[in-house]
Amino acid sequence: MKKKINPRALILLLALLALLTAFPFCVSNYIIQIAVYCGIYIMLAVSLNLLVGYTGIFSMGHVAFFCIGAYTSALLATKLGIAFPLCFIAGGIGAAFIGALVGFATLRLNDIFLAFTTMGLGEVIRIIIQNASFTNGALGVAGIPMPMLAGHKMTRIEFYFMVLILVLILVYLVSRLVHSNTGRTLKMIRDDANAASSLGVNVFRYKMTIMILSCFVAGLAGSLYATFLQYINASNFSISISINIIAMVAIGGMGTISGPIIGAILLQVLPEAIRFLSNYRQLMFGIALVISIMFAPRGLVGLNWKRIPFIASVCEKLKTNNGKEI
Amino acid sequence: MTMIVQQLVNGITQGGLYALLAISYSLVYGVMSLVNFSTGSIYMLGAVGAWLLCNYLISDFLLSLVVGFAVGFALAFILEKIAFKSIRGISRISSLICTIGFSQMLNELTALLFGKATKGMPSFFSEKAFEVVGVTISWLQLILMLAVVVVLVTLQLFVYKTKMGLAVRTVAMDNTTAGLMGINVDRTISIAFSLAGACAGIAGVAGCIYYRSVSAYMGWIPGIKSFSAAVFGGLSSMPGAILGGYLMGIIENFGVQIFSTGYRDVISFVVMIIFLLFCPAGLLGRKKTTKV
Repeated sequence: MKKKINPRALILLLALLALLTAFPFCVSNYIIQIAVYCGIYIMLAVSLNLLVGYTGIFSMGHVAFFCIGAYTSALLATKLGIAFPLCFIAGGIGAAFIGALVGFATLRLNDIFLAFTTMGLGEVIRIIIQNASFTNGALGVAGIPMPMLAGHKMTRIEFYFMVLILVLILVYLVSRLVHSNTGRTLKMIRDDANAASSLGVNVFRYKMTIMILSCFVAGLAGSLYATFLQYINASNFSISISINIIAMVAIGGMGTISGPIIGAILLQVLPEAIRFLSNYRQLMFGIALVISIMFAPRGLVGLNWKRIPFIASVCEKLKTNNGKEI
Repeated sequence: MTMIVQQLVNGITQGGLYALLAISYSLVYGVMSLVNFSTGSIYMLGAVGAWLLCNYLISDFLLSLVVGFAVGFALAFILEKIAFKSIRGISRISSLICTIGFSQMLNELTALLFGKATKGMPSFFSEKAFEVVGVTISWLQLILMLAVVVVLVTLQLFVYKTKMGLAVRTVAMDNTTAGLMGINVDRTISIAFSLAGACAGIAGVAGCIYYRSVSAYMGWIPGIKSFSAAVFGGLSSMPGAILGGYLMGIIENFGVQIFSTGYRDVISFVVMIIFLLFCPAGLLGRKKTTKV
């Protein structure tokens, strides 16, 4: 089966890539930092979307896996001095392992109970990390080294490119996954788990697989976060981060590839771009969540833009000006 | 021995607050099969209402409770009318996300208008009532326990003895059939939702008087813990939620005595997780099977 490639989409994609490659060289360190956070949140949102959007597992404790990834990677790097690539993978594996345990316990529950159980487990994990001695307790882990690249410590721009490449690989793999047979099975489980199991699908095994995969990605994101920030503290991984990730997925559009990416960028960049908004970040997240569920239940991506009067009139004008269709 | 009785008394006082919030979850879950994540925020706003009353008008215990009731009732009524009514048909995940959004919005809005700092509440009945074999029981604890019991009994009488309560129970059982039998489903849901809000508001007032502090983020933890309590007792049964609330308060206080205070919030989560895994219907809940 050969897929036709739309030339216009290809050009758009190449232009976007060129922009993403060029832009870190002409902006300040601060903006690069925001871009790296964007990348990390895209990883988190995409991984949560695999659970919520494609399989119908509403996890409210996603931050826990982010936290475990960050701590695993940070502790290995600072206490044992292990190189970054290994810490990175270990962060993912650590999160996936705990994710498997959590999944084993919770995946048989119905949706709302699963949401609260995962949230509870997330809090339990955070509180244990905050009180345990091997994680430095409330002091957090400081002095996490930047990864080495060709004999020198990575600069922020290099780190940005690493994150960019990882995000691109992730998005490619996820889009391959959801368009595969497995992806279709997952959607069937989301729409009707009983029907799926009566057709011979091992629902629990699929859910478990996707849970492990999603937690693995969240753990990788945690490792990147810890390494980039060079300091982590358990109090940074509160429930509100989980809610922010949920907001990104819900506002962008659950069950789509581009939705969580757009949501993550929007919610990460907007408060920074509009200065006076940054104090009201959490408030904006709340309002955006409510509005998106009430008026755009399929998210920004699923919105029928042409039905909004303002945009419709703009489209109309463009049409008459250019004399061609948009 | 003294310590055990003392913890029991503290646990029952605290458990009363959880019971009020748990019954709020249970009422809403019954009529709408929705878990209202913003219950914690209503709890917080009830407390803020009482703080405003005590600071700017008069410092009165009974009036504070009335304000808590009014704030919770009005807020829940408005929320139901503007939002939850229009999203009633959508999936449970989406509606839960919507209530999370409201909770976030209310908390942050309060933080903005009221300030992020924790504020003190004036003390009521601080002198101790009596001391039995070394166990101190203050008037405040006694009166709070009594107030909670009065509210709970009134609510039970409303649900089980009045015509409106019968409507609430019918809608909880099957709202389509209830509608066909001539019950005004919209109004019944609205009343149940508002009453649930009022319970949370009263719990908020009682909570802020008991802990003597008010802050914009005080609703988080009690909100989640009392959901655990509701699950523990059985989310689908109101007596179950009350029992769960009281037991949760007692378990938590003994747990803190055995482990350390740092793990206070872990205890209720662990209880909830264990119950969800092994006995999802809770202590008194109905067993429910899903059919294709």
